[in-house]
Amino acid sequence: MTAGVASILRYRAPRSRSDATAWLGMILFLGSWTMLFAALFAAYGVLRLRSPQWPPPDVPRLPILLPGANTLAMVASSVALQRALRFARRGRLPAVLPAISAAFVLGWIFLAGQVALWFNLWRAGLRPDGGPFPSVFYGLTVFHGLHVLVGLFGLGWLVTRAAKASFGPTRHVGLRLWCGYWHFVGVIWVLLYFTLFVL
Amino acid sequence: MHTIESEDLQPIHPEPTSFWLKYVFSRDHKVIAKQFLWAGLLFLFVGGTLAMMIRWQWAFPGKPVPVLGSVLLRDQGGAIGPATYMTVFTMHGLIMIFFAITPILIGAFGNYCIPLMIGARDMAFPTLNLLSFWTFVISLVLVICSFFGQLGAAGAGWTTYPPLSTNIGTPGSGQTFMVAAIFVTGVSTIMGGINYVTTVIRHRAPGMTYMRMPLTVWGLWLTAVLNVLFVPVLGSAALLLFLDRVFGTQFFIAGAAAVRGGGDPILFQHLFWIFGHPEVYILILPAWGIVGDILSFFSRKPANWYRGSVYAMCVVTILSAVVYGHHMFMTGMNPLLGQGFMLLTLIISVPAEILFLNWLRTMWQGSIRLHPPMLFAIGMVFVFGLGGLTGLYLGATATDIYLHDTMFVVGHFHLTMAAASFMGSLAAIYFWFPKMFGRRMSEPLGKIHFWWSAVFITLVFTGQLISGYAGQNRRLYNPYEYTFLKHLLPLNRWTSYSAFILMAGQLVFVWNFIHSLVAGARAEMNPWQVGTLEWSIASPPPHHNYDVIPTVLRGPHELADPLVREKLGRDWIGQDEPLLEQTPGTSAPAAAAGRG
Repeated sequence: MTAGVASILRYRAPRSRSDATAWLGMILFLGSWTMLFAALFAAYGVLRLRSPQWPPPDVPRLPILLPGANTLAMVASSVALQRALRFARRGRLPAVLPAISAAFVLGWIFLAGQVALWFNLWRAGLRPDGGPFPSVFYGLTVFHGLHVLVGLFGLGWLVTRAAKASFGPTRHVGLRLWCGYWHFVGVIWVLLYFTLFVL
Repeated sequence: MHTIESEDLQPIHPEPTSFWLKYVFSRDHKVIAKQFLWAGLLFLFVGGTLAMMIRWQWAFPGKPVPVLGSVLLRDQGGAIGPATYMTVFTMHGLIMIFFAITPILIGAFGNYCIPLMIGARDMAFPTLNLLSFWTFVISLVLVICSFFGQLGAAGAGWTTYPPLSTNIGTPGSGQTFMVAAIFVTGVSTIMGGINYVTTVIRHRAPGMTYMRMPLTVWGLWLTAVLNVLFVPVLGSAALLLFLDRVFGTQFFIAGAAAVRGGGDPILFQHLFWIFGHPEVYILILPAWGIVGDILSFFSRKPANWYRGSVYAMCVVTILSAVVYGHHMFMTGMNPLLGQGFMLLTLIISVPAEILFLNWLRTMWQGSIRLHPPMLFAIGMVFVFGLGGLTGLYLGATATDIYLHDTMFVVGHFHLTMAAASFMGSLAAIYFWFPKMFGRRMSEPLGKIHFWWSAVFITLVFTGQLISGYAGQNRRLYNPYEYTFLKHLLPLNRWTSYSAFILMAGQLVFVWNFIHSLVAGARAEMNPWQVGTLEWSIASPPPHHNYDVIPTVLRGPHELADPLVREKLGRDWIGQDEPLLEQTPGTSAPAAAAGRG
């Protein structure tokens, strides 16, 4: 490939003004939701700091491997969606649908893993009314799971759009917005994983 | 930004023709504004009625309530029982803050004024705007459900402190519905906030620089910023409380009901006030902005030190985020931390004074025209002054320890949040009514309404200040059970009479509003003779607001300019009106230079 073609391939079409407006709205929404999750994490921090032992000795231990695999699925899903956006921007349109579909499937794998996690821990006797530790665990992970579910509806919509080949170098604002949301949900999960399961 | 680009960004959409899309599920910011206004006024009436019931209880404790008692409280013999009393003051507070002032000042006037005053055709996200209103409607339904909840409506106070607000203190679905309503209305507010912030950043007309925006838009915009940042913190508190109530989690439960150490009730207070202190500025900033504009318009003078007012509002917005601890001086907080919060709190009085002096200097030597909007704006300055000064006593730890949780606190925050926001809302309603509905409200009735309201609203809330200073705790079911408060019965009775007269006076407004809506004189394009953009188009404006997006040449308060009087023979000039020989948009800097 000659340098000229490569530079064309790397060319990004300038964003339209309405796309930039939509992106600003998304930034504000994510900023707002950052405050929401920051408050939830702060609540978690306060409860954890004031409890004599965390986790309490008589509750089932949280696994590390299953949510670890989940974390990988979430990160992979985010990467796949970012690749899809990149393909759309650079005009590699046939690659967009597989990438979005991969992100979609990985997202469902994550959610299935979460359901398995909740199911296992419930059976092991961890109930939401068993004190602050399970409160934090179920409260934060389920609330996050609901956000993943919303994201999966968005990704499903993106899959149908991509199947109709509606994305292109200048037409990808929906993809870009959901990409931002999906990365946000992913980052929240990574923070949750490290503070709740690893630490 | 050039005119062609903004036309590109905001093409004219045809007006929907079906009834449902035009009036119910409308995406038009003007229709949504009116929907918020109607909802807000309706719930203002509900909240006001609840206030009358509280005042009745304090004037005639345990006596059957006239009229309302026989309808609403039949099972209690017409009197307000202790449990019902709890729900009455709780619902009064929550409804007034989240379902009356917020929809009127922010929902209605935010929606109405922002696009029109910055020269935009609509909000940045019209569909989000539609969703914001209908999410708000869902929260209203939840509020109504709360009234019919098992064991009565919410009863843990408007601050909803646990453990009182958990299932241990307030069982029953009424409280749960209300916690859910707060979360849902928060979502609606955030949607609106995102829309307002984006619209102001992206959809200003060419030439509408930040320093040419009307103060109203500044106030509403800063409010929207605070909403976007701090309402989600309230959302988190409501969410965790909801989980505690419905799923038995233990975020806020302590004491005997706690499992494995339990949670932390004080944590809720932190989350609540991290939101709650910005919230008081959320409710007053739009009123500040509106009053700043109206005082200038009706003094026929430019607003004094416009930039100072803008900077002061920005500084207040920032400081409002770091003073929340002054609500928690009595929670066992480290005294040093308390002093830090006290210092930051008292610093807020500096920008507040700048605003206040700017308002007074705007009126100084002006040709003041005492139309109803101006009267209400002056009234707002007066009651806000009282509220601000009494705030100093509560911001300082030494006096707060004595005054904490007394009626003094109630009087203070009613003067700022209730009286000042009420006056600001009414100034806005009287001012923009001709633009919104294309008709004039009656001036004599407006003036009667003002004097009636101003006198009695001051009496009501200063009465509360005095009884609080005498030591009466807030929220007491029957204060006169305590010997040291027995002598306050006459004072409280007179305060209650003032409140009843104040409420009765609002009938003048209701009559004026509805009668003018149907049979008021037709309003011309610019009845107040002012220059902001919304007055340069028809009343009411067409669906797309501006046939051609205006090019703004000057600030919002260009009144009494000698050059304008010489050229045009009047004391005002529109923000987009060319004065010198030029075509709009080609030599705007020359016009700006022309007026120096």
